[in-house]
Amino acid sequence: MALTLPSLLSTSSAASSPCLPPHRTLFTGPSTLSLNRSCRRRRSGPRASVAFDSPAEAGERGGSSSGELLLEVRGLSAVISESKKEVLRSVDLTVHQGEIHAIMGRNGSGKSTFSKVLAGHPQYEVTGGVVTFKGQNLLDMDPEERSHAGLFTSFQDPVEIPGISNYDFLLMAYNARQKKLNRPEIGPIEFFSVVDPKLAMLKMEKGFLDGHVNGASGGQKKRSEILQLAVLGADLCILDEIDSGLDVDALQDVAKAINGLLTPDNSILMITHYRRLLDYIKPAYVHIMEDGRIIKTGDASLAKQLEEGGFKAVSAT
Amino acid sequence: MYSLNTPPHPLLLPPPLLTMSSTTTTSHLLHPFHHHHLPKPKPSPLRLRLRSALSDPRLLHLAEKLEDSVSPSLPLLHNLRLSSSDSILSKSWPTRRDDPFRYTDLSLLKSSQIEPSPPSPSSPLPDEPQLFPNRFYILDGHVIPSLSSLPNLPNGVYVGGISGVPDRIAGSVLDSFSGFRDGDLFWDLNGIGAPDVAVVYVPEGCRVEEPLHLKYVFGGGGGERRLAVSNPRVLVVVERGGEIGIVEEFGGGGGDGFYWANSVAEVAIGEGGRVSHSYVQRQELGSAHTKWTLVQQGSSSTYELVEISTGGKLSRHNLHIQQLGPDTVTELSSFHMSRSDQLLDLHSKLVLDHPRGYARQLHKCVVSHSSGKVVFDGNIQVNRYAQQTDAGQQTRSLPLTPRPCINVKPNLKIVADDVKCSHGAAISNLEDSQQLFYFKARGIDTQTARDAVVFSFGAEVLSRLPYEALRKSLASDLKGLIADKETIHLPDEI
Repeated sequence: MALTLPSLLSTSSAASSPCLPPHRTLFTGPSTLSLNRSCRRRRSGPRASVAFDSPAEAGERGGSSSGELLLEVRGLSAVISESKKEVLRSVDLTVHQGEIHAIMGRNGSGKSTFSKVLAGHPQYEVTGGVVTFKGQNLLDMDPEERSHAGLFTSFQDPVEIPGISNYDFLLMAYNARQKKLNRPEIGPIEFFSVVDPKLAMLKMEKGFLDGHVNGASGGQKKRSEILQLAVLGADLCILDEIDSGLDVDALQDVAKAINGLLTPDNSILMITHYRRLLDYIKPAYVHIMEDGRIIKTGDASLAKQLEEGGFKAVSAT
Repeated sequence: MYSLNTPPHPLLLPPPLLTMSSTTTTSHLLHPFHHHHLPKPKPSPLRLRLRSALSDPRLLHLAEKLEDSVSPSLPLLHNLRLSSSDSILSKSWPTRRDDPFRYTDLSLLKSSQIEPSPPSPSSPLPDEPQLFPNRFYILDGHVIPSLSSLPNLPNGVYVGGISGVPDRIAGSVLDSFSGFRDGDLFWDLNGIGAPDVAVVYVPEGCRVEEPLHLKYVFGGGGGERRLAVSNPRVLVVVERGGEIGIVEEFGGGGGDGFYWANSVAEVAIGEGGRVSHSYVQRQELGSAHTKWTLVQQGSSSTYELVEISTGGKLSRHNLHIQQLGPDTVTELSSFHMSRSDQLLDLHSKLVLDHPRGYARQLHKCVVSHSSGKVVFDGNIQVNRYAQQTDAGQQTRSLPLTPRPCINVKPNLKIVADDVKCSHGAAISNLEDSQQLFYFKARGIDTQTARDAVVFSFGAEVLSRLPYEALRKSLASDLKGLIADKETIHLPDEI
């Protein structure tokens, strides 16, 4: 079964790009779900194993356990809608609940594209493969449905939206979720008590809420994305270069906030150039992406190998 | 109505010290650059001479009716009326063959019977929240001091009708009439039919902290195929180093929609002066709105205009800015939203004749109705002596209907050789917008996301309004217009 850790580690796109039927039912039926749940093993150690203060001592999360299957990507291929240029070539990836994964790779290797395709960006057209998220076909969903299903993508360079304040945007998104869950929508005054603690957690000023969406500097944009994540919550959080544009202090704040949001049930897929992020948020799995596919998967030592020998050292093997 | 040290109510008093004798005031009336143009004032009452071979009988008939509608007892307007009468003799109703009206359909005016608005304004004013402490009402072109409130004006500032202009500033005020010669028929009709001129005078070095809100209200009084025309006119004079914020607001309450507002604002800014001009046009949807804004900028002066136009069935803004000295700063931003069977038109012209001018223009428009139209002709002329000019012009359109009618023509004419100029025009597609995706990626439904992206598009201009109260009021208006799906025709979900 492709769910287990050993098979995941052995996965490389060259070795396995099976053409699965478009609606793979193995994980979608309720019986399967309950089976998975009953099989689920909770991690026994303390949950907050990722300590930004003492990264050297922090354990790797998800390494010793695999929860319920959360995301399964099989043979995902995509082109740019306009030019039809191929950008993803049969990507395979499996993420279980509670796991932290990192995707590393050169510029233009397809890392960000992968995250955008998962989020449903209209700029890309999926040409093959299957993506199952919590037992549902993710590719059938609109971007807003993916969000409601529990997928959150923090974008590398989120677009500026003049005239809409961060506060209004957060409220809009929060209420969209409430509505979807058949819960009462919340008023702008009550909403402050939802946002305020999250702001404090990210060490952000209250004035930030009055500014317009993504109008701030690079570092503030990243914090803003994490603030959204904190307010909205997610089962799977894709962090696309959350470390770019952040100085060490800001990176620590952001990492601490992300670690604070982790529960045994949710997972992170982070995309990064640099290993330094991995000192703060420790992945159990590191994937190397090149030319639109994942060419290698390993544990955190792969990142170290990468740092020492560069991408060449990794892609050569 | 007036500054704290000015005597009461000019309309209740006979024009005191300003009774014009043709010899003493002629020199004031004549603009130095247009000496040859203005006719000498005549002692006889104004009367159009309409026997010109070039004349358009229908236009002249209207001009005559307007002439009859105004009180002849405002001697300070004598020359304006006379020169306008003179000029209109050579005018005719524009057609689509006339370049400035190539895309602007004037059939609403041509097909309507046009009558001057009733002489004694009686329309009740709508009860609405007041955005600014300094308010001045202009009802069908008549200044209404009794409704106005001007508690926060510094000494020496005058705001009021032309007959109340204090003697000490009469010369400056009259000098500031531009004697502009390139106006169209709307300019001339206003010159003939303006019943008064609201004068705003800011003395040298005076900084007016609180903005002045000019509320233009229109009583209507027309009917089906009948429009009541009124001709409000404002003259803003800011002496050297003076500063003021002006908010011109048209419509926004009351009125039956059967009217034509044909207004003119002249703004003269002295050396180092600064005028922040906010222009809000939310006229009734059946009305016609034509406006001239003529600005003369002295050296090192600053003029900032933010225009928000969403009203009227036909709306035409002619904006003309002349640079009178070097080192001027000019920033123009406009947002037009055509959300019903309406045409919104901005024709702007910025003429730079002196070195080191800085100019920026941003025009944005949304067309959300299948019969909605937007026209933009933005001209910046960088003439021979305007070296080291830095000028940029951008226009962006957001069509929300499958076959929108948007005519944009940004153009820079550059004669000087040492300049930095740029211009661009873009038509955005909402469906491809990164912003739309961003909202959706956060779980916000498509319709809410679309509305928010359209709002955000306009908000870029809205946010340039310098007053929070006005920004909020207009933002809430804009959200209402966007959410009003009766008038918005969005394409079907893809």
